[in-house]
Amino acid sequence: MRSINRGLRSFRRHPLRNLVVVLLLFVCLTFSLSMLAVKLAADSQVEEVKQSVGNYAEIRVSSDYQMAVFEEELSQEESERAAQARTMSDEEMLEQMTRFLVPEDLADLFSQQSEIVTYDKVLETRISLDDIENTQMETMVSMRERGPQGEAPTALSSSSFTFEGNTDGSSVSDFMLGNKVLVEGSFYAYQDYLDANPVVLMEKTLAEENELEVGDTVTAKISGESGRDADVELTIVGIYESVEAEQQAEGSNTETFNPMGDTFYAPLSVVQELNSTPGYVELGSYYFDSVDSTGALQQAFDAEIADGDTYELATDYSDYEAIADPLLKVGKTSMIGLAGALGACALIILLAMAIIIGGRTRELGVLKAIGATDRQVIAQYAVEVVCICLVAIVLATGVTALISQSVGDWLLSGNQAAETTDTGEEGMVAGGPSQFMGGPMGGGSNLYKEGGRFSVASSEDQSASLDVVYQGSMLLYGILILLGISLLGMVVPLIWITRLRPARVLSME
Amino acid sequence: MHDLLEVKDISKTFKAKAGDVTAVDNVNLSARKGEVTVIVGPSGSGKTTLLYLIGSLEEPDEGGIEVFGEDICLSGADLIQFRRKRVGFVFQFFNLITALTALENVTLPMDLADGSSRGQHERAVELLARMGIDGRLQKAKANKMSGGEKQRVAIARALANDPDIILADEPTGNLDTATGKVVVDILVELARRDGKCVIIVTHDESILEAADWAYHMQDGRLEGIDIKEGSSP
Repeated sequence: MRSINRGLRSFRRHPLRNLVVVLLLFVCLTFSLSMLAVKLAADSQVEEVKQSVGNYAEIRVSSDYQMAVFEEELSQEESERAAQARTMSDEEMLEQMTRFLVPEDLADLFSQQSEIVTYDKVLETRISLDDIENTQMETMVSMRERGPQGEAPTALSSSSFTFEGNTDGSSVSDFMLGNKVLVEGSFYAYQDYLDANPVVLMEKTLAEENELEVGDTVTAKISGESGRDADVELTIVGIYESVEAEQQAEGSNTETFNPMGDTFYAPLSVVQELNSTPGYVELGSYYFDSVDSTGALQQAFDAEIADGDTYELATDYSDYEAIADPLLKVGKTSMIGLAGALGACALIILLAMAIIIGGRTRELGVLKAIGATDRQVIAQYAVEVVCICLVAIVLATGVTALISQSVGDWLLSGNQAAETTDTGEEGMVAGGPSQFMGGPMGGGSNLYKEGGRFSVASSEDQSASLDVVYQGSMLLYGILILLGISLLGMVVPLIWITRLRPARVLSME
Repeated sequence: MHDLLEVKDISKTFKAKAGDVTAVDNVNLSARKGEVTVIVGPSGSGKTTLLYLIGSLEEPDEGGIEVFGEDICLSGADLIQFRRKRVGFVFQFFNLITALTALENVTLPMDLADGSSRGQHERAVELLARMGIDGRLQKAKANKMSGGEKQRVAIARALANDPDIILADEPTGNLDTATGKVVVDILVELARRDGKCVIIVTHDESILEAADWAYHMQDGRLEGIDIKEGSSP
């Protein structure tokens, strides 16, 4: 205790010398702590990103398998194929129709993996509805898609509509991403899927043109058993509006057709019945806990589901990489900065203590000559070192709180700029290109991203800034740094004092 | 009066690039309580080394030192206790801690020796007053004082833990004649009045006047000087 008091007194007695050391340490510690704060924030944000972006996979028929089937079919004469089709049994017909679909039980089986957080199943098909008409369909069909005489493809006729089925209306990707908004009625629920309730969500413009509203029914014509047609009454439970269509309508080209306006959404089991493919889905859609689980899931998929090359597990890192890469680079840069600044701190404290002790050698000799133990002298100097480091770290902590956000933003902007210039091909899909997939896989997106209960933030939102907040761990790291440099600072007095012989010092003039 | 301090056949050799240097060569010395022992000799004769050997700041290569018949060639805690309680040093260059006040310099040995601060301040004030350092001067930093004042503070510091032996190394070496005389008088008084065993090493032969026992040191060897008729070292 007395040594502590002596150390404190000694610290107060050399204000100018201590101020210089404190200032030098303060600069390096501020840099160290800023780098540390940025590093912690970047790591924390990467972890968050891992749990919300890129943690998505789909099971679907592999593109290799599809290519193989196409090539096999192309090798046959058309007449041969027609003959085969005429002689097919119901089972063979089902097999033919489901050759590019995934058995639902496989999708369910994969959902049992512990890493899976939510999952959904999707099937999309074209269904004819005789009692309603899409009057704007003609404008949608581009010249490229028309035949030699300008006729529209049969699949895109005015009474043919896209039906998309999943297990819960509210988790349809278009609604989750905000491309479409329910404006009337309600979504169909999971129970509707289990009970195969014939309910649908319909687009607003289409409903208005056909004078339909919530509670009305539409009739779908399907091929029943043995080729006989059957009618299915579908009740409209909700009407949705396309946000894209609204935005387009605000523009000058009011004739632009809402490309998704002809889509009906219905429980998966209903769409399976309409498509005559019960027990099959186009894809299984999975959100898992973290991007880090991708490898484990791929292994599980290869072991249990893949069935050779028939099915593939498609993942998409592009968003994750776009967001996480600058953060990871910021983390690395800040780590290097932290190491450098801590090294400078170590050097400063070692040099400072060497100068301080060197200048007080006679004092040390006197202290030992009048009966001070090594421990007493070391304790006195230790208190001085701790005081110097403590003042420096307290000041540095305060200033770091003020500047670390700016440092983080500066590092991030530098890395984002580098990222923009470096970025080559965006995105990666396991198993090959997605253009072979029809239905939900169409459009610009690599993956459908169906069924998650997540708020899917855009890369722009997530990568715009690095949120450097002071976490509890910062205090712990601050204390550790304080202890570290203090201990290092004590090394010089420790060596000096234990080796010092007072008789030698006192003999010096 | 029995012998307090007895140095028996001690030697000390230092290793140097030019060869080994024997600073103290088979020295025998007795010093008594209440008396002043003066060792004179030129620079480099080994006086200071002998003083440091007696004060346990150096360890002899051979021989021993006994205080009340007790060997004090100690180590560790006992050595520290000896330095704290049995000896007090007065140096030529004062060796005060310049950042401390006179009062703090005197309190320091007590502070190091004893955890309790009770009475330390009063004793320091008393010792300084006895040395003629009063009032504001007690609170002055050591580096603001004159040589004579510093040396008187150094003597007060040497007395802080009431040691039996006062070892003074050229105590007047940095002082003018008048001030030097004052310092010597103080040391003599410590022997006469307080019964301390005072050993002074110096090259100033005028101090021999104050000595009860005197020795001459040359090349590490000690020889007695007959300073009073009928007495011998």
